[in-house]
Amino acid sequence: MKHLIHTLNKAFDHRVRLGVMAVLLANESVSFNDLKEVLDLTDGNLASHVAALEKAGYVLVSKQFVGKKPNTTYTATAEGKAAFQQHLAALEKLLKP
Amino acid sequence: MKPAASPDPLAQLTEIRAIMERSSRFLSLSGLSGVGAGVVGLLGSAAGHFYLQDHYPAGYIHLINGSEAERQAALPFLLLLALVVVGSALLVAFYFTWRRTQRSGQSLWSAPARRLSLALALPLVAGGLFCLRLYLGGDAGMVVPGMLVFYGLALLNASKYTLDEIRWLGLTQLGLGLVAMLLPGWGLIFFALGFGLGHIAYGLVMYNRYERPTGAENQ
Repeated sequence: MKHLIHTLNKAFDHRVRLGVMAVLLANESVSFNDLKEVLDLTDGNLASHVAALEKAGYVLVSKQFVGKKPNTTYTATAEGKAAFQQHLAALEKLLKP
Repeated sequence: MKPAASPDPLAQLTEIRAIMERSSRFLSLSGLSGVGAGVVGLLGSAAGHFYLQDHYPAGYIHLINGSEAERQAALPFLLLLALVVVGSALLVAFYFTWRRTQRSGQSLWSAPARRLSLALALPLVAGGLFCLRLYLGGDAGMVVPGMLVFYGLALLNASKYTLDEIRWLGLTQLGLGLVAMLLPGWGLIFFALGFGLGHIAYGLVMYNRYERPTGAENQ
């Protein structure tokens, strides 16, 4: 049997990235601070993982200014949502081979 | 957080579901908030009943069939009563839910909590203005049914951001409001049923399900 493990998406091979995608699937758009709070992360940790997801084309980053404060919000791209759903399906398959 | 070296699929899926739930719904709503708001609702309807009995020969029924002058005369008291009831119900509800977030370490003003508040507030403000206009326009008997209908719709609207019981509480209030439309003279009784007993009943159900001290350790 070919290892089912290889059907898992490498971009999601980390708990933080899984968490980010989970939040973005359940919510249309999420700010950096809300994301940080719900996943209980530090700034740097979150930023590096989101950057990886952005590079993969799974997450869209938009920066606005609220007054003088920068406000960064994240949304999952259609591609990211599809890839994450596939990843979830692959995880479920691992459960019942 | 550490990397998932060899993914345990079950643990991962469970965690993903928990994160999705936690990030989109405000789950710290305390059942005691409902019980407290219900007690305030009962006290409010009792205060309304005794005031109206004191000022008009047949109390509430007299008022809803009364003249414009009589309605105008009762308006300051009714507005004040509404403000006090809504204010103290919110305070009590806020206190118990705040206490629960303190214990669970969750944030009270998270993104889902903000969405929940907005989803509740918009229909309620619209409903409040609508009911005020009903009262001034001479349809005072439809004020309590209107409050229950708008409150029910507000809860239905907000229920997607919080515990499932809120949807059922909304349907209950909506149903009570629709029945109350057929029985205009029973307004105060329906007020006590919906805002009083309805809140207490659902509050107790929620408290039993999520907060009873014996089960608190496994949460």
